[in-house]
Parts: sequence; structure tokens; C-alpha cells
Amino acid sequence: MSFPKKPGGKALDALQNLPRITLANLRPEPGSKKLDRRRGRGQHGGNRSGRGHKGERQRGTRPRLGFEGGQTPFYLAIPKYGYNEGHSRRPQYQPLSLKRLQYLIDLGRIDTSQPIDLTQLVNARGVTIQPLKRDYGVQLVDEGADIFAAKINIEVQRASEGAIAAIERNGGVISTGFYDPISLGILIRPVSFFLRGQPIPKRMLPGEDMVPYYRDAANRGYLADPEKIQQARLALAQKYGYVLPDISKDELYSMLSTRKDVRQIFFGLAPGWVVNMSEKKILKPTDEKLLEYYSS
Amino acid sequence: MLRCSLTLCVRGAAKRFASTSSSENFLPPNLLLPTNLVDPARLKRPPPPAGCPLPVLRKCDALVPAHLSPVHTWVETLGQQDAEPLGLAQLHPDVFAVPPRLDILHTVETWQRNFKRISHANTKVRSEVRGGGRKPWNQKGGGRARHGSIRSPLWRGGGVSHGPRGPTSYYYMLPMKVRVQGLKVALSSKAAQSFLYVVDSLNIPTPDSQYLLDLVRHRHWGESVLMVDVGEEFPDNILQATASLKTVNVIPALGLNVHSLLKHEAVVLTLDTVRFLEEKLLWHDRRYTQLHPFRLPYSDL
Repeated sequence: MSFPKKPGGKALDALQNLPRITLANLRPEPGSKKLDRRRGRGQHGGNRSGRGHKGERQRGTRPRLGFEGGQTPFYLAIPKYGYNEGHSRRPQYQPLSLKRLQYLIDLGRIDTSQPIDLTQLVNARGVTIQPLKRDYGVQLVDEGADIFAAKINIEVQRASEGAIAAIERNGGVISTGFYDPISLGILIRPVSFFLRGQPIPKRMLPGEDMVPYYRDAANRGYLADPEKIQQARLALAQKYGYVLPDISKDELYSMLSTRKDVRQIFFGLAPGWVVNMSEKKILKPTDEKLLEYYSS
Repeated sequence: MLRCSLTLCVRGAAKRFASTSSSENFLPPNLLLPTNLVDPARLKRPPPPAGCPLPVLRKCDALVPAHLSPVHTWVETLGQQDAEPLGLAQLHPDVFAVPPRLDILHTVETWQRNFKRISHANTKVRSEVRGGGRKPWNQKGGGRARHGSIRSPLWRGGGVSHGPRGPTSYYYMLPMKVRVQGLKVALSSKAAQSFLYVVDSLNIPTPDSQYLLDLVRHRHWGESVLMVDVGEEFPDNILQATASLKTVNVIPALGLNVHSLLKHEAVVLTLDTVRFLEEKLLWHDRRYTQLHPFRLPYSDL
């Protein structure tokens, strides 16, 4: 455009010649307020008022929903099977594709010069986690692995093999960590937690069924042996056919190797500390028993 | 006969249609106007021309998109009645020149009227009306209609079957962005119809109400004026002058609302108010969706 368009366009020009907009001139958009059909009024709403002709329908004495006149109803004839049994105890993980992650990094919503945590993902509005709906975190999905090109230090709760390969191929670091529901709720809404004035709790260890997952080096679990993780990285590079870049020679090596302690929820804050938002102070416990408890 | 009357009708309709579609106001030739008729369009000061020599006292703080240009207005002073404008001010087009969405104005105005409404209308049901526990007469044998209580809705003095029941609340909240857009549309319509005036500050020399009325009449601002300023304290003179006036009112910038903007004919903003409004109203265009309540320490990451 050689010259800027007039702001507001022709509508604002037309307003200059029209009467003043006042409280008396306002009306809704034609067609937006459609009157409801009220029962018992008028030619179409009246007469039988939408109830039909005689019988249980008009008289309102129909039997309960699902009743089939005495025949064994459908919902009792079909035998039970535990499809949804224990559904409220099954952990769910919100999927995060590498395509979406690359999109967020490209728009600058995620800072790649710092370790990426679930808090950073939620602050960037990349994922929405609902801990009360049995969400246990986020899982990395390998859709978009071919276009992913960012070196990041990311910590998720589950990751597929293809996603791990894509991140390590670009020289990044990925690890999987477990957060119990209370820690997860604190992690995604830190400001609301700090305003409660409670000390940061320690993160609980995973249950029996999840320990094997987080101790496995192939999943880059946070409880796994670091040497086995290095072997697993080499094995994955061989399997997917790329050269594993050496991150120890990288200038951002210290940032890439930052990892959270097993009991830690936030980077830089240890369990037991109290954060005061209004006075911008951090209070640390001094009692021996408390220190012993929080460092166990 | 019918055919020529039809063509005459069509020709007349075409002339009327042509006059409404064009932007100038055509007056019919046989119109008799009274001699003391006031035309505000000819009396008000026209908007500043492109090459105005007066200095630009205020530029937009936020970035103006490349395809839009800022709105220019005069910056006047309330010090003297017949003072010339001090300079020009640039107003952000995304606040003062948004498309005039009259349906949003109607929605926000209806919300403002109704969300505070609590209707206390209450009637008694047949169980609440005093009396009526005993069957008035036997079911059979009286020759009269059968009744169970003297307070049934059929009876005089009986309860109301489907009347209003107790305090009813009509509370509902429109989405925050709709309410913000309503403010922007109201300010833009005032600016487009040249009812928006910018003033350097609300300092007047005397606490006299007549001074304000004379000033408003001299500058042809209109019959009602709404003055908006930022901050908790206002100059004593303006507060005293407007205290007794019904049509000239002063409100803080936090109290700006669509109803007041539409009720008053002219709106006077100070330069600080313009800066405050632009900052607050433009923030909603580029914020993330809400995660914490906005009154908590919030920062876009």
C-alpha cells in the first residue's frame, strides 16, 4: 500500500452524516433476537401445547427411560464387561506434538535458552492440563518429527521413541519425570500456589506400576542410570540412522544438563521453602527435623 | 393509466433513492426553514486539516499498525471560554477508529442495564396464603363445584399459580473482550461523529457553574457533556462547578462505561485519560487467555 487506508473505513465516514448514536437509537442486529415458541399461546403453541393426542404422552404418565413394556430392556439384557472399569484411576497424558512445539518456539512463546518445563508450556498456552480430570502431565508425540529443528532441554511425563529421537538428533536433551497430582496442580499454577503461603511440598515418587517406566533408560526416565541413558542415546541414534551430536562440547552444555532433583518441583526452589509474593522474599526452614524431612 | 402512474412512481423512487445514497444532504426546494434554526455541523470547529501548523502534543505510545493511520484531534483548554486549541493529539486507530459495531453497543448497553437488576416481585402460592387447610364443603351432595381449599388459584383471594417468585437475579457477564470492544466502539462513534474533545487538563479558573455552561454553549459542544480524568483527585473548581449541574458530569477514567458515553452528547477526555484508555484497552488485543485472575501479578511471557 502506498498510503495508509483511512481508519475504520467507509462505515465511520457514513456515521458522520447520520444522526447521533444515543440510547434511543440502539437496536439489536435484525434476526438476532428470535422469539421462542411459548407453550399454550397462539395458534401454533396452543391447542394441545405440543403434547400430542390423549394417552400417556399427553397425560404425562409415561414410564421411566429405558422401559420396554415389560420385555427385558436393552441395558439389562446386554451382559456387563469392564470397558470403563477403573477409568477414573487411569492416568491420562495431554498429547503435545513436535509440530506444535516447533510452532511455539518459532513464535517466541517458549524460550529455548532455558530448560523447558510443564510450567513454561502452560505459561505459553501451548497445552492445557486439568489435574482434576486424571491428567498426570504431558506426553510428547512424534507428529512433526521430520520438521522439528530446535535444540532444547525439555522435561515431559511421557515421550514416544520417535519424539526422543527427533529431539536428540537436533542436539537437545529430553527426560521424563513423574509428578503426583498435587505437585502437578502446583506446577501448572505456581502463582496461585505461592499466594497460599504454604511451603513447597516434596514431589512424591511414582507408584509401583510406573516405577519400571521411569527407571528405564530407553524412556529417559529421571530414575534411570545416567550411563545407561548415554548407551540408550547411542543405540537410538543407530536405530534411527543419525549421528548423535556431542552435547558436552556445546556452549549451552550447562543449561542442557540442568535437571531437577527427584523431589524437586520447581527449578531453583527446594521443597520446604515458602515464597512470599507481596514482599518478594523466600523463607527457608531452619529446624533440623524439617530439614531432615524435606531432604529425604 | 396504470402504466404511466407506475413509471412515475418508479421515477420518483429512483430520485429519492439517489438522494439517500449520495453523501450530501439534498434539501427539497419547497422547504420553509425557520430563521433561528441552529445547524451544529456548521457551527462546530472542523477537524484539523492535514497540514496544520500547530504542534502535535501527543503521539501514540503503542505501535500503530502499518495499514492504519492515527486519528488527529484538537487539544483544547478549559482556561478561557474563547481560547484557541493548543495543538493536535494523535489517537490510536485500534481504540478510536474501530468499525462501528452497533450491535455490540446494544449488547453491552443491555447488559449494563440488566446485570445489576434484582426484581423483588413476589407473590404467594396457594400453600403460602393464610388459611385454606380445610375442605370447604363435602365432596358430594352440596350441588356446588368440588373444592379442596379456599385458597386455590381458582378462588378469589387464593394463591397465584405461576406468579413471580421472590427476588430474581438477572445477573450475567458478557465476555471481557466484548465489553472492551463495546468501549472502543462507543469512543470511535463519538470521535467519528465529532462529539469527542481532548483537553490538556480539567483546571478551570472559577468554581462557577455558569462559566462551564457558557463555555459549553460558546464552543457548541452540545446539551450534555461528560468529562473524564485519570486519578483519584480532581481539581476542586471543576468538582464544585459540576456538583449542582445535571447535564455536565465528571467521572474518573475507571468509571467510563458505554451507557454514560451514549447518554451524554459530548465527551471530554484529558491527555492522561487518553493515554490510560489506550494502554488498558489495547492490552486486551494482545494478551494470552486467562490462567490466573487478572488482579494477581500477571506478565505475558
